[in-house]
Amino acid sequence: MNPWIAIGALALVGLLIPLGMMSVSSLLRPTVPEKGKTTVYESGEIPTGGTRVRFNIQYYMVALLFLVFDIETLLIFPWTVIYREAVSMDGVGLSGALYPMLAFVGILVVGLAWAWRQGAIEWVRNPTDSQRSVER
Amino acid sequence: MFAPLQAEPTLLPETIGRFLFGSEMAIWQEMIAAFLAAFVVANVMLAQAGVAGPWAKRKITAAFTDRIAVNRHGPAGLLIIPAAAVQLMAKELIIPDGVDRPAYDLAPILLAFSALIGFAVIPMGSIFGINLQIADPESGVAYVFAAASIATLALTMAGYASNNKYSLMGGLRAIAQNIAYEIPLIVTGASVIIFTGTLQTSEIVAQQAEPLVTIAGVSIPSWFAFVNPFAFVLFMVANLAEVGRNPFDIPEAPTEIVAGYMTEYSSIYFVLFYMGEFIHIFLGGAIVTTLFLGGPSGPVLPGFVWFVIKIWAIFLFTQWARSAVPRVRIDQLIEIGWKGMLVLSFANLILTAVIVGVML
Repeated sequence: MNPWIAIGALALVGLLIPLGMMSVSSLLRPTVPEKGKTTVYESGEIPTGGTRVRFNIQYYMVALLFLVFDIETLLIFPWTVIYREAVSMDGVGLSGALYPMLAFVGILVVGLAWAWRQGAIEWVRNPTDSQRSVER
Repeated sequence: MFAPLQAEPTLLPETIGRFLFGSEMAIWQEMIAAFLAAFVVANVMLAQAGVAGPWAKRKITAAFTDRIAVNRHGPAGLLIIPAAAVQLMAKELIIPDGVDRPAYDLAPILLAFSALIGFAVIPMGSIFGINLQIADPESGVAYVFAAASIATLALTMAGYASNNKYSLMGGLRAIAQNIAYEIPLIVTGASVIIFTGTLQTSEIVAQQAEPLVTIAGVSIPSWFAFVNPFAFVLFMVANLAEVGRNPFDIPEAPTEIVAGYMTEYSSIYFVLFYMGEFIHIFLGGAIVTTLFLGGPSGPVLPGFVWFVIKIWAIFLFTQWARSAVPRVRIDQLIEIGWKGMLVLSFANLILTAVIVGVML
């Protein structure tokens, strides 16, 4: 049997279970609409301002890094699968199997080190960081 | 290369199909058999999440914090499970003003979906001679990582669509955390693949059944947790972060941002989120079990019982961490992920490759 039929079947079940629970719930639950209920929750206060605010995504650099490393992991997987075979193969050996990957990972680690120095791997870049380091 | 250790065990859809239609099956008969098998496995996992969520989690937390938890309904409070199910399903669904409708409704479905489909390739062992694994494709491990990481998308949708500032913060934190810890998780998983030379889950499990050493007449199997304990520790930490439990529960951090991306979800949507998270913990446990703890293998008891024991042990570990370890701050979390875990996981990968290469 083709394994992807079974996986597709599980995907279908995985959709049907949440949908089934939602339909059962819609039969059971009361609906008492009221204006106060639908306000945005802000710890019981009257909400101030909108939510579609500007948020400082200094973090976008990390998202870019993530993309790079994610593709790298994709490329690492085939290498790990054939690694043992390649090492014991004539004409490839340990150096032939390992060194290209060392170089590949090395380039990315250099990239990570650069991003690290740039302060890209921070949640929020603090403008007072430089001053603080002087104070210490 | 390794020769297969045993004859290919019959997978669950095939077993059901043979029982219903005989050995020659048309494509629609295969589909029905696959659907029934998927239904069985999904409900097994759902039942475990049902036990874990309203009952086991509270009992465990109570035991850790020296309190008494649910003990009024039935023996050891076990009847709280159906009670909680009915109670939660019967809650009014409140949809706040200004939410992005399709995304707001899709997020809980997607989270539960992504957690459930991961179980397709997990070898769950056999009970009464029936193997409970649904499918065994050659790309098993890659598939399960891909399935588990869809959850990030659900959290992102929930955070953005809820029109709530806490949700926005929680959603952004969830993205930051999941992308920071996913790469260490997958790279550490890849270091196991160096040993096995295959991504097929049944083969990975079979290779771990061989004895590693024999101490005082007890032979220790070559589980990759024993062969490569450093990778095991790294994987457990990254797994804690992926499922969002302490010390990495910053996306939900109840004392800071109410409930993070779940703030505006009520009724059945909340149940789906909660259930999805628990199934996700079990999926994480199942991946750890498959890659590092020998899958369903074990003495005396049937394989499926061992599988359940192992994933519950990992569930207990996450709950232990939840009770015992304080939460890290968001900037510390990012630093641990990118400056610590990532570097260590690559060091582990290279080191494993060098050791395996030299030992051959």
